[in-house]
Amino acid sequence: MRRFERLALDGVTVMRAIHPLSRCLNKQLNNRPNNRPIWQLTWRIAQLTIAILLFATLAPAQNISIQLVQGTFRVTGWSASGAPPANGWSSIFAVYAGGSDGPALLGSYAVENGTLVFRPQFPLTRGVRVRAVFRPPQGREIEAGFEVGGAPAIASTRVEHVYPSADVLPANELKFYVVFSASMARGEAWHHIHLLESNGSEVHSPFLEINQELWNRDNTRLTVLFDPGRIKRGVLPNLQLGMALQEGKRYTLVIDRDWADAHGAHLVQAYRKIFRAGAADRAPIDPEKWRLMAPKAGTTDALAVDFQKPLDFALLQRMLTIEGSSGSVPGTISVGRDETEWRFVPSAPWESGSYQLGINTELEDLAGNKVGEAFDVDTFQPVTKHIATATVSRPFQIR
Amino acid sequence: MSTRSIATLSKLAAVLVCTAGLAFSADVPGMSAGKMQLKSAGVMAFAPNGTLIVGDSTGGSLVALDVKDGSPANSGGNVQIKGINEKIAAMVGTTPDQILIQDVTVNPVSKHVYISVSRGRGPDAIPLIFWTDASGKLTEVSLDNVAHATVNLPDAPSTTATNSFGQNQRTQTITSLAYVDGNVIVAGLSNEEFSSTLHSIPFPFREAEKGTGVKIYHSSHAEYETEAPIRTFVPYQVNNRSYILAAYTCTPIVEIPVSDLKPGNKVTGTTVGNLGEGNRPLDMIAYTKGGHSYFLVANSSLGVIKVAVDHLDSNKAITTPSSGPAGFPMETISSLQGVQHLTKLDDSSALLLVASGNSTDLRTIPLP
Repeated sequence: MRRFERLALDGVTVMRAIHPLSRCLNKQLNNRPNNRPIWQLTWRIAQLTIAILLFATLAPAQNISIQLVQGTFRVTGWSASGAPPANGWSSIFAVYAGGSDGPALLGSYAVENGTLVFRPQFPLTRGVRVRAVFRPPQGREIEAGFEVGGAPAIASTRVEHVYPSADVLPANELKFYVVFSASMARGEAWHHIHLLESNGSEVHSPFLEINQELWNRDNTRLTVLFDPGRIKRGVLPNLQLGMALQEGKRYTLVIDRDWADAHGAHLVQAYRKIFRAGAADRAPIDPEKWRLMAPKAGTTDALAVDFQKPLDFALLQRMLTIEGSSGSVPGTISVGRDETEWRFVPSAPWESGSYQLGINTELEDLAGNKVGEAFDVDTFQPVTKHIATATVSRPFQIR
Repeated sequence: MSTRSIATLSKLAAVLVCTAGLAFSADVPGMSAGKMQLKSAGVMAFAPNGTLIVGDSTGGSLVALDVKDGSPANSGGNVQIKGINEKIAAMVGTTPDQILIQDVTVNPVSKHVYISVSRGRGPDAIPLIFWTDASGKLTEVSLDNVAHATVNLPDAPSTTATNSFGQNQRTQTITSLAYVDGNVIVAGLSNEEFSSTLHSIPFPFREAEKGTGVKIYHSSHAEYETEAPIRTFVPYQVNNRSYILAAYTCTPIVEIPVSDLKPGNKVTGTTVGNLGEGNRPLDMIAYTKGGHSYFLVANSSLGVIKVAVDHLDSNKAITTPSSGPAGFPMETISSLQGVQHLTKLDDSSALLLVASGNSTDLRTIPLP
């Protein structure tokens, strides 16, 4: 609207400039009785010619417009023939998504069938307001404003689960896995995760707030580490504040509702996990204490492994394997009973014989204790120079 | 000199100039030109020759880029960009809240400032790199035709393969990297195992690195030994020996000789200080001023801490924690709040990325 008003005003201004001059000349002509008809006719033709020439110059400017078509900005009504200006197309046509003194939008220019076209490097985000400015070599500047619309995202994402599943956790619990039903947005996790005591007060700085955030590949699972400085015995934060969890107390892990998912919508609702802190667990994992329940040969019944205590949900997905006489046994796994049990169902019926349950020694329990190595070793052992290979095994028979 | 001689000399000079031009435009050894597709652009560092090294956590690799920014300068000038997140958002057609600034680093040759950015905050966020200088103009570093080299990190999970049970949820996030004595040292955190592995990757990159990294341990009270992931570190030299000063996730500041960082080694850092409760170290820089040596540690909550480290050597190891920051004299510069990134601009200035309300600003300050 602003653009059209400016062009119309120009035409009227021209006519108003011509008219006083014509009136003055007419007055002179009218005082010349003998030559009146011929001069008048000549002058009127001259006026008309001037007017036509001026409008012929201005008329194209009145038809120039900037349009946004399928994400591309187009200057219509102006013929972009020939080479670009010495300083490039950006010197006469630019689009701004920020303030008036901000940098221009990144993108590329092209001339398509005589039309100057600007394609933003990235599709414009919903809610962005842009101002496109065209400065033709002759003529006035033309400006057009656009706002990228689109329906706001609807809340549909929720927290599906928080691991560990148990409602009693060791006081030196090392981490949570928060699983979402859809991809989440990075960059705001630490504003939306709270650990509350039973009286509702928030535990001061319980977590390791890594600014990069530890997500899985599709931003559906966030790893939340308790501050290891508060868990590790003898380390300064542990001495100053103690562990975040005190044995015997009840806590609530709260995930706020107003945490944006990848589409910008908040969660459907907040999530709460209530648990109690038990005694600290400082014992390494001992696979010899596991109970293995072997199925019968000829069946596809599950091999069930009972760990006697919960282990790390994520690591259980990949740190146990089944080896038979002809190598790795294919199958599917499941983790249940609050991560105290691992079940393996073979793809083909079991053959009778000897098998090995292979265990990666990097497997952790809830307190970060590994196979054969506690999270913090309470007697200093000489540091060895080289790391040993990282697998142990439990044999079992299928009959 | 005759006219003919002058003409001959002129032609010879022209040939020499052209040859020199060809020599300088020859490919950087180990790199090939072409389109580079980053999967993510996170922490960055420069090699002394002005090669930019980018940590691509999603791609599980380090990427070296010849950004062709080799004009030497002694000073970075006064880089001050208010609302840099808003300006970058305006350039890429999105709202400021959709811009995550991942890291800020400075080319030691040109003193130009490089910024790694995510456009968008979902799993399909687009990685971008910009550079700027004291003029405040932001320019995208185009990766459409850039000389580059890539090396996969040894323990990075495959971007496509799954384990035998169809699982692939593990990721490795690079938290800090630096070039030291012909190697790129990389610290990272897994989203699954509590791992303390540090890698030392030869640079220029060779074939894909295999084998284990270095396990880093912390010994507290000379009694408790734990694995200790490194959150951030900075290289420095004492008596011509190379070290890294590292901040553990559990907050002690330790010194590790670079010569100990050999694949397969298990290394315990020597504690030289304790930042203590509430400290969340983000970035560290080493500098000298007035003949004295200092470290500057940016914290997400307590401002910037200046540590005086004259005569820093492993004889000053701390074996018992104390009730407050101990080791070398520390001073909190509480006026510097909201610092998200800290890097050295030149010998007299530091560059800060500071959160100020809804705006994020790039600021130059004199080294304190």
